[in-house]
Amino acid sequence: MLGIDDPQIWLAYVLCFLSAVGCIIYGALKWNEGEEEEEC
Amino acid sequence: MAVSTPVLGIVVLIYMMVIFYLGWLGYKKTQMTEDYMVAGRKMNPYVLAISYGATFISTSAIVGFGGAAGALGMGLLWLALMNILVGIFLAFVIFGKRTRRIGLKLGAVTFPELLGRRYQSRFIQGFSGALIGLFMPLYAGIVLIGGARFVETTLNINYDVAVLILTVIVAAYVITGGLIAVMYTDALQGALMFLGMALLLAFTYVNLGGVVEAHQALTNIAYLVPESLQAGGHLGWTAMPVFGSPIWWNLVSTLVLGVGIGVLAQPQLAVRFMTVRNDRALNRALLVGGPFILMMTGVAFTVGALSNVYFFEKLGVISVVAAGGNTDLIIPQYINSAMPELFVVLFMLTLLAAAMSTMSSQFHTMGTAIGHDFYREFLKKGELGQTINITRIAIAVTILVSVVLAYMLPISIIATATAIFFGLCAASFLPMYVGALFWKRMTKEGAIASMLVGAFSSLFWLLFVHAKEAVPFGLSQAIFGKATLLSGTWTVVDPIIVATPLAFLTAIVVSLLTKPIPQKHLENCFGK
Repeated sequence: MLGIDDPQIWLAYVLCFLSAVGCIIYGALKWNEGEEEEEC
Repeated sequence: MAVSTPVLGIVVLIYMMVIFYLGWLGYKKTQMTEDYMVAGRKMNPYVLAISYGATFISTSAIVGFGGAAGALGMGLLWLALMNILVGIFLAFVIFGKRTRRIGLKLGAVTFPELLGRRYQSRFIQGFSGALIGLFMPLYAGIVLIGGARFVETTLNINYDVAVLILTVIVAAYVITGGLIAVMYTDALQGALMFLGMALLLAFTYVNLGGVVEAHQALTNIAYLVPESLQAGGHLGWTAMPVFGSPIWWNLVSTLVLGVGIGVLAQPQLAVRFMTVRNDRALNRALLVGGPFILMMTGVAFTVGALSNVYFFEKLGVISVVAAGGNTDLIIPQYINSAMPELFVVLFMLTLLAAAMSTMSSQFHTMGTAIGHDFYREFLKKGELGQTINITRIAIAVTILVSVVLAYMLPISIIATATAIFFGLCAASFLPMYVGALFWKRMTKEGAIASMLVGAFSSLFWLLFVHAKEAVPFGLSQAIFGKATLLSGTWTVVDPIIVATPLAFLTAIVVSLLTKPIPQKHLENCFGK
């Protein structure tokens, strides 16, 4: 896959992209959560 | 190919002027201690995300680890994955939010202070400060090397003076503008880094005929792996090394786990969480942080490995050979020979930005660790005394040590020295940091014990067992008459694998045996 024979490598390659996309999705979904400012 | 100096000079000058302006902006906005130490706790989420990423990723990640990927191959992508999942996602979502809240409640302005106040111990704060002040110069030194290597190959000049001027400029805006200046300049530097790395990836894939074609070409030249590396378990640049072989241990334990996990307990990064107003900012920061890190380490490791194809096609040799055996020179060599001249200028700036953004935070953290944490809170018991002067002197001295180290350290050291510092931080700070945020039963004694066990077992393993450091240091040889105290696989297992679990175990056992922290203090930390 992707010109890489070892699944241990192409898996890492693909997971890198997926995890970055995951960060984007999380950030977008929680865009307005946690707004309240806590004072001590 | 040497770049025309006037073009580079003008570009660098414009860049420096903008940096100077941002530094001045930081200076103007800094009125109170909180501004200087934690940017007034009001930082914009995107500035936070890019600043965090730009600090996290230094020239050492790009040049040193990219070079390591040139030698070891794409297995390093597991580190890129760790960087995103642990270094960004886990750090922001799980650690960041609690760090911000507890830091605010306890009025902490540095990472050691957060730990010290959470456990009501000046010793913890002082010892952590001293540890940072002593060992962070090693990390700052190699960041300097990373930048200097590029200047060395690009401009083909003696770089000593340039390095010193660079150091003075960074020190100037850190000392005057504090963390606000650091984070503003980081944001600009981060944007440059993003652009530079994106272009580097695009150029590389286009030059090599496409994504799949480039990877395939790299897979096809696996037979070129030198015999010495083959004997160590190297199976090619698109394959993981043989499970359990010395190269596998180096890759997995030192590089992937050491740096991948160590990032959580990095003082200069953890303090960032205390710079924003609310959790929303941390959520939004993820949106930028994840893709940013992918573009940094993901690209550096892929391009580093792929440079083998380029050098083989052009010179008939693999990257390590083309770089004269020094892996730290692989990326600079590759950029200089494979990229268009204009890009070399841009990348030069990328690396300058990467070095400066990490250095500025290191200087800030080293200075406050010694001036605020060690001197004011530990030695003077909270009295102001000469704190400001001590902090300034501390910054100057630690910078000097970093520069001296940059000249003294051996070749191919960048990735290893980064791993040493990250590992030491993980072993010393991670158990009590995790406990501080998530385990109310953890006691002051448990925290102190874990910190001492983590720090000393990590150093002990480094000097007496882990062959990569123990052999060149020679301390084990001098005292015990043998190069390393243990033999076999142990000598390639990174300190972090041994010291961090040991420190966690100590934290749990000692905490359960000692008196819990008073409920009232816990309410101060966590709210009712």
